[in-house]
Amino acid sequence: MIRVESLTKVFRRPHTFSGPLGPLRTLLTRRYDERTAVDGVSFEISAGEIVGYLGPNGAGKSTTVKMLTGILTPTSGLIEVDGRVPWRDREANARAVGVVFGQRSQLWWDLPLIDSLRLVGDLYDVPAARFAGSLRRMCDLLGLDDFLQTPVRQLSLGQRMRGDLAAAMLYDPPILYLDEPTVGLDVMAKQAVREFIAETNRLGRTTVVLTTHDLADVEALCERIILIDKGRVLYDGGIDDLVTAYAPPRRLVVELADDETRTFEIAAGRPIPELIAQVAAEHPIRDLSIREPDLEGVITRIYAESER
Amino acid sequence: MIRPLAGMARVGMRFQFAYRSDVIMSVVALVAQVFLLRMVWTSLYSGRESDPRGLTLEALLAYLSLANLQAFVTTPIIPMIAHFRIRTGTVFFDLSRPTGYLPQMAAFQAGHTAGGLLMLAPAIPVVLLVGTITPTEHPIGYAATLALGYVISVMMSLLICVIGFWTLETGAISLLYRLVSHFFAGTMVPLSFFPGALGVLADALPFKYMGYVPAAVYVGQLSGGQIGRAVAVEIGWIAALAGVLWAIWRRAHHKVVIQGG
Repeated sequence: MIRVESLTKVFRRPHTFSGPLGPLRTLLTRRYDERTAVDGVSFEISAGEIVGYLGPNGAGKSTTVKMLTGILTPTSGLIEVDGRVPWRDREANARAVGVVFGQRSQLWWDLPLIDSLRLVGDLYDVPAARFAGSLRRMCDLLGLDDFLQTPVRQLSLGQRMRGDLAAAMLYDPPILYLDEPTVGLDVMAKQAVREFIAETNRLGRTTVVLTTHDLADVEALCERIILIDKGRVLYDGGIDDLVTAYAPPRRLVVELADDETRTFEIAAGRPIPELIAQVAAEHPIRDLSIREPDLEGVITRIYAESER
Repeated sequence: MIRPLAGMARVGMRFQFAYRSDVIMSVVALVAQVFLLRMVWTSLYSGRESDPRGLTLEALLAYLSLANLQAFVTTPIIPMIAHFRIRTGTVFFDLSRPTGYLPQMAAFQAGHTAGGLLMLAPAIPVVLLVGTITPTEHPIGYAATLALGYVISVMMSLLICVIGFWTLETGAISLLYRLVSHFFAGTMVPLSFFPGALGVLADALPFKYMGYVPAAVYVGQLSGGQIGRAVAVEIGWIAALAGVLWAIWRRAHHKVVIQGG
């Protein structure tokens, strides 16, 4: 469904000068700085998959999404979305993809939510009966009824995000790009968004590409992740395989009698009772626990290794 | 193609009515401006039947009232919308639609203008009364020059929207455009009063078709063959601007930068 090969995007901008005349020099300069946002990224995503596209800030995630939607033209490399090159066939690609950005909204700020949703129906030429059915389904899934007539500027962040999700799915696109859809949301709102994504994928076999910093989103929704940093793919595969391959050692956390807490790495293959006995012989123990490696620890470790 | 554009026009119209206080203030501002211009020009004309150019005070007041009414209704909003959406990165959504960016913006502007007409409906009788505006002898000529002038105005605004893809910042350009276009459209002083080189410049620029030309047709300052020539030149401007827009938009596609992650 989505094929990306050696995708590269280089941004070019005028060089910024400092000093008293810096702004003027910046305005007039012919010197340019280049920054490679995406650097030879390759992956394939099959229909119906939910893939987590992860990376630290500035890793190139959003730039990739913008190229997948056809808005940005790559500097080099290939993208095919359902057999189409997005930036060459923008119109057909636009009908096939829905996009949600957590940090910006497609809803018209000054108008009631329903106006933005109706506009989406018009822009994608959704027949009236199909639009009414889609809108009813979105209202049921996302609980929109209470604020359909409320101006977007008066909605809470969670309500706005639900409105954005509805706007992205009203025309039933087979592909959904979600860029940090849960950023800033409270626990309940996050849960509602996750349930909507899972339901959309289950019912409509919608392919979902999810970029997020919230690894709970990934653990709840994705079986596969693509990790990128500095525009390059660091890992592409299943979450379980990632944890197995990159997991840091398990740790024994010991609370000592004098309220001090100490942590001991459990070396691979070493029996835990043996380590506990050794620690107990040296320290009076009040409590102890074993910390299993979590996804966050794994990913932190991979990023740290890529920094070296 | 029609439904997406009708949808954008509807949103443009709703946008016009989003803030009631803006609606009221706009009506008050328009009526106040027409009153002030009437006071200034009546004082300048005191003791004279007409100025050396043969324009009677009554015709001048009618002209100014009409030109301001036209300018108020047709002043484009899309440079401001595009400026905001490019700055915040929400232009991403406009570009990701199956309908083109420029038709979307033009339709939004058309809806906004229609909303402006509805909004100003209560003020129109006052302006007509204050401006002593009587029915024109050239209704078709007036409608044609005004409609084509409006198209020119929208196309010029679209140019500013597209320039934003290079500069990422169109606030200053929009402000400059507004000042220059209103001045050279003759909303404060009829272009026939412009001296020497300024008059030649005003005559060469397209802004006069947004204010002066339709208003001058209405009050009878332009008639017959002059109206026909004005319509032909307007069509020429529209064709030229369409070519320029098409060429610039093709290049703008490659300049797109969506602000923020």
